[in-house]
Amino acid sequence: MNIQESLLEAIRQADRAGASALLDRWAAKHGTERMLTDVLDPMLSRIGDEWNTSGTFTLAQAYVAAKVAEDTMARLATQNKDVPVITGTKGPVVIGNIEDDFHALGRKMVGTFLRTDGWIVHDLGNDVLAATFVDKALEVGARVIGVSAMMLTTARNIRRLRDEIDRRGLTGHLQLAVGGAVFKVCPGLDKEVGADGTSGNALSAAGLFTELWQNSKKVKVIP
Amino acid sequence: MNSIERILATLTGEPVDRRTVAPVLSLYGARLTSCPLQTYYSDPAAYARGQAAVLMTFQPDVLFGPFDFPGVGAAFGSELHWMPEYAPNIRRPGIATLADWDKFVLPDPETHPRLLYLREAIQRMAEEHRGQVAIAACMMPPIDLPAMIMGMDTWMETVLFDRDGANRVMEKLIPFFVKLTNGLFAAGATFIAMPCGFTSPAIVTREITQNFGRPILDRALAQLRGPVLVHHIGAPMLAHLDLLTGLPNVAGFVMDERDDLAQSRQIVGPGPVLFNGPMSPRLPGLTADQVAQECRTMLENRRNDTRFALCTGGPDVPWHTPPENIHALRKTAVDFRGNAA
Repeated sequence: MNIQESLLEAIRQADRAGASALLDRWAAKHGTERMLTDVLDPMLSRIGDEWNTSGTFTLAQAYVAAKVAEDTMARLATQNKDVPVITGTKGPVVIGNIEDDFHALGRKMVGTFLRTDGWIVHDLGNDVLAATFVDKALEVGARVIGVSAMMLTTARNIRRLRDEIDRRGLTGHLQLAVGGAVFKVCPGLDKEVGADGTSGNALSAAGLFTELWQNSKKVKVIP
Repeated sequence: MNSIERILATLTGEPVDRRTVAPVLSLYGARLTSCPLQTYYSDPAAYARGQAAVLMTFQPDVLFGPFDFPGVGAAFGSELHWMPEYAPNIRRPGIATLADWDKFVLPDPETHPRLLYLREAIQRMAEEHRGQVAIAACMMPPIDLPAMIMGMDTWMETVLFDRDGANRVMEKLIPFFVKLTNGLFAAGATFIAMPCGFTSPAIVTREITQNFGRPILDRALAQLRGPVLVHHIGAPMLAHLDLLTGLPNVAGFVMDERDDLAQSRQIVGPGPVLFNGPMSPRLPGLTADQVAQECRTMLENRRNDTRFALCTGGPDVPWHTPPENIHALRKTAVDFRGNAA
């Protein structure tokens, strides 16, 4: 079994310690320079595929995957002090839970997976007002805002963010990604709240952000 | 046959005149009585007035006690966030770390105002509607309560990476849960609707369900003085249903609309009641005809299953759900002539 298969199996078993031991062994043999590109990224990509297609991946397993990703980033930061681990090659993005929403777990996992994918993540936390999202995005030069909501009631508050983006003339330039449990239960809710895109799980967020970033670049807006 | 006779017959497998129908209308009572939610979820009399309005408006077979698990968290010091059209949420957990549990003195269900509210709401509803309609109390099992007390991510971290620590928390919470829940039975609850997250295949692995969730549920539920319905929490439950079958005092399962009920019946056997219905968060976006059609399809699929009842799935029915959709759900169950009897 190769390292990715073995890691995947450890995560399926929600075995963070086992995954860490596997990474230690791999690093001892190959070094840490290519750990992100050769091990972590492909493994997360496979988990994302499995989560999307099989429907058998659990929140606990995704949480372990996020922890393994965090552990790996921390290990790389420690061992390659002169080389920036978080390249930020994909640009700055803003994430947060919408006004009235306090279900942070999914958002935190999205943040971890986005950082692993090379994004500079500005996490505004829970209960974030529409104007705060837009202000931060403009401040840091983000083209994508990722908003999380767990319940129907709070998901509807995302409409205020859509309106705020449009009101400031940033339609298209500032792309709106949404996610959370309620979007899986209510097909079409993402469109209802004015989202530019949604992803079915935390791991797919990186792909969605890439797509939305590209869409944003097609729009010429002078804020 | 009145509602309480109907649901008791369904639970025991006796013949019934028609299918039981049980939309979860805890929140909706506040809308019907125009009651501010901070009052509704703090004052048992206000809550009972809301449920009386639910009964008068929709005539369901089951009235639900407060669907307010953050309120239990508040009794442990969690800070609540109030919203105008939804039950409160946890803004800040009461317990930050696992170590805090060791010195924490748990609230007494018989004296803490937030916990007494739950019991007194049930008591008022039972006194007002005794012998007419079933009263379901809503309570999380011990394995899920810590999410309301220390936050979902801290509890997940504990269950995943410190199982001994998680079991220490359970040693404290099982007696609390048993006392609180038996108090709800004593107050007049017909049964307990119990959303189980930390046994759900959407949330945890089979290993966690088998080696952590199930043993805790075995111990806790065996000490209850009434029946329990295991609730799917808004995600499919079928993949772990085998691990939940045979739990003490469990009279039925509220399944997800995406679960295969024929397979579910095969797994749980002929005894437990299966509840199923459209997911609540979808209800505001459907027409009454669509609700009726979905419900008819579900009832038709379970035509020969005498222990099947219609409900709403997932969380509470949302505030903005048109009343005609709730009427349509009930009417479909009342009009359906299946092999219920």
